[in-house]
Amino acid sequence: MTVDSRDELKNPQEVIDELARGSLQTEQMLLNVGPQHPATHGVFRLLATIDGEVLVDAEPVIGYMHRGYEKLVEARDYRQITNLVSRMDWLSNIQNELPMWMAVEALMELEVPPRAQYMRVVMVEANRILNHLMFFASFGAELGAITPTFYAFREREDIQAAMETATGGRMHFGYMRAGGLKEDVPRGFLQAMLAAVRQVIDRMDQYYNLLVGNEIFKARTIGVGVLEPEVAYNYGVSGPIARGSNINFDVRKDEPYLVYDQFDFDVPMGTSGDCFDRFWVLLHEVYESARIIEQAIEGMPSGPILGKVPRVIQPPEGEVYIRTENSLGELGYYLISDGDKRPYRMKIRTPSYSNVSALPYVLKGTFVSDMIAILGSFFFVLGDIDR
Amino acid sequence: MPVLEKLSHDDALSRVQGLLDGLLADAHLNYGHVDITCVPENLVEVTRRLRDGDGVRCRFFTFMSAVDWTTFGEGEGGTDEETKRPPLEVLLHLYSPEYVIHVTVHVPLTAEPFICPSIAGVFLGALWAERETHEMFGIEFEGHPALVNLYLPEDFEGNPLRKSFKLATRVVKSWPGAKDPEEAAGGGR
Repeated sequence: MTVDSRDELKNPQEVIDELARGSLQTEQMLLNVGPQHPATHGVFRLLATIDGEVLVDAEPVIGYMHRGYEKLVEARDYRQITNLVSRMDWLSNIQNELPMWMAVEALMELEVPPRAQYMRVVMVEANRILNHLMFFASFGAELGAITPTFYAFREREDIQAAMETATGGRMHFGYMRAGGLKEDVPRGFLQAMLAAVRQVIDRMDQYYNLLVGNEIFKARTIGVGVLEPEVAYNYGVSGPIARGSNINFDVRKDEPYLVYDQFDFDVPMGTSGDCFDRFWVLLHEVYESARIIEQAIEGMPSGPILGKVPRVIQPPEGEVYIRTENSLGELGYYLISDGDKRPYRMKIRTPSYSNVSALPYVLKGTFVSDMIAILGSFFFVLGDIDR
Repeated sequence: MPVLEKLSHDDALSRVQGLLDGLLADAHLNYGHVDITCVPENLVEVTRRLRDGDGVRCRFFTFMSAVDWTTFGEGEGGTDEETKRPPLEVLLHLYSPEYVIHVTVHVPLTAEPFICPSIAGVFLGALWAERETHEMFGIEFEGHPALVNLYLPEDFEGNPLRKSFKLATRVVKSWPGAKDPEEAAGGGR
């Protein structure tokens, strides 16, 4: 711009008015985000049509990691499937195994001993804390705050170490079996888990304000990417993302499975459905999970860890839908068995898939600078979308 | 919306039956979930009534997929009895957060070409689910705004979740294999 042309400059209000009238000539541009992008937690591609700073349209392109689990499970027996499904959502592995076995147990009418049920609750909730800490780290990093990453990974380490002593794995635990668990936990596990969880809560208190109280963080998340409750239902959005939109929807409360009806815990909920509320709900669920773990360890019964299970896992003919509250929402398996050792058909309903399908709706009409904040606040795992 | 009223399974069944009077071919309970069957022509009306009907309000879109029944019961331990199952069936699950009602909708598709009306106008979640079901089973959803592949590349041939689509590795080497490697088809390891 030359100095002479300064006289022709309009004041900003005039420009805004012209934009509103549609009399300003603008051009739409296609912006490709991903498939390799640090904010997408895997290979996720977003085709964004932008007009200036505004997203006119955003279309997620998925399938870069499609492994065809629903086909693969038809050629495997149930012991093999438990290891397969644990690789869907690699942050909530043990939670992926649980409903699959619960579906088998429902068809075979297997009894799960109380100790196994309590131990499952401890494992599942510890896994939820691991998952939520990961997103605590990554959401901060996506907004430019790298520090939470180091804290979160330090806290994750203690819980992972405790789980490793029981399961032998750090990432893919493979600990669930039909009718219970692989084996009982080693001596000292419950104390170690309790200490690790308490330490997480202690330190969470210390740096909770690091993000939630931060002015820049608030400015970038409050009022950004609002998801209305009715739309969330319509897309099948569940978990912390739905609860951020003030939806009181938690499978653990609505239809308690395992022994969740015996614990005292709350369902944190947001009010406005923006990025901040989704993150706020996620953080508060860590506290609730810790409460559940404390109660479960306190009331841990003794007894067998595995029920009476036939040698061969061969569910009779039938179909059943079993769902649980995964870290990121409702995880369900629609299992159809024709009496074989393999499932005839297993439809896997994963939370990230349904949650992300609402992304085009939320992104439409937002600013390009808010796009990464919205993507991050949807807390998805690519393996869970692509299966 | 929190749970307003937790219905007994029988109440849930009778409410759904009352709401969808005349539109259903079958309705029964399966593990506490309401299992209904309807013809493709009625699907849009059924889903709309389930979503908006007073006292039901199944407005949570759980999932949508399909089942290929053609080889059902042929596996080990299967019963050989003649069942009147359709070759393909669209499977849809809706849930009512207020009344804790699960509804599984079965939509039998009896003959080729397999065509089913799209419910994307009722549930936005079906936009992706129908694209996935289309590529995996080869079902056409009439009225879907853009029925392109979701996971698979555009030039992919075949419908992977049909039973006629064989897993390549299982053709080379059968499952579960033989106890003695020499007996196994494909020559052991």
